[in-house]
Amino acid sequence: MSSYFRLDPAESIDPLSNFEPADYDSELERALAEDPVAEIDAKPYLQISPYATVQEAVEMLHDSGAASLLVIDSDRLVGIFTERDVLEKVVERYPRICSRPVEEFMTTDPTIVYQSDPSASAAAAIAVAGHRHVPVLDMDERVQGIISPRRMFAFMEKHFS
Amino acid sequence: MTFEEQLSSEQIRTLPLRDAIAIDEHTVARAAIALMRTHHLGCAVIVDQNCRPTGVFTEQSIIRLLVAGASLDTTPISSYAEPDFSVVRASDPIMTAWKAVVDSGRRFMCVTDDEGYLIGLTGQRGLADYVCDCYAKQITVQRLGSAPWMLQREGA
Repeated sequence: MSSYFRLDPAESIDPLSNFEPADYDSELERALAEDPVAEIDAKPYLQISPYATVQEAVEMLHDSGAASLLVIDSDRLVGIFTERDVLEKVVERYPRICSRPVEEFMTTDPTIVYQSDPSASAAAAIAVAGHRHVPVLDMDERVQGIISPRRMFAFMEKHFS
Repeated sequence: MTFEEQLSSEQIRTLPLRDAIAIDEHTVARAAIALMRTHHLGCAVIVDQNCRPTGVFTEQSIIRLLVAGASLDTTPISSYAEPDFSVVRASDPIMTAWKAVVDSGRRFMCVTDDEGYLIGLTGQRGLADYVCDCYAKQITVQRLGSAPWMLQREGA
């Protein structure tokens, strides 16, 4: 015998009756809070193997004009190699280390956002954590792109009103 | 006032400006790079004798220098200065800097006073801080980290 007490729908109270939708001052405020990161243009992006050499990475940055490379191994993000890594870790000893693998000089554990996060989380990674390149992952932890301040601001512009 | 109107009415001087590294065009690359590393800045501003900006030496300049195989000890920064750079006045609207980032892809802008003297740097970072101030309620409450979100949940 069932021990559940079944409410008569006619007598029950709508569980959402006291729900008050968030009140936003502007469309941009709503977009930051509610639109997902997936709405921000996160492509194109460049990737490199962690076993590629530093020289290959530097040449890829040069040839593409990009400021960062996502370091991906077996479909998993393992790090990011940026112009800042070149400045901080590479440039002053480049002739000695140019044939060593990127994984020794990349930034590991970069701050990431998920496609389903609110777009404000990408802004937080840029403004609060201070990262210029924020990798975007899907729920299977696969890389879907990268967000830069320029892409974030372009997203915000779409919601100027 | 909308955010767009705010960008058009507020001046660049209200952005958090960063102190610029001002150097002479004959400075060798190694010295400029050492200054950039010390100050954690991706850009050094080349100035003339009157402290007016004439070019910028950036992380992208460093990449070009490395690929060319140039010596850090003998190459003057002017050889690898960026051909295009932006100069804005502190009295310009913030929208000027915003457009330079979104439309032209600028990372840095040299900020001058009305006489053209260099007084600081702004760019993507300064604008990001400004956006964060304007929308703190949405932005500062977000999860930050490098671990999957389910591992960050309480009790996980």
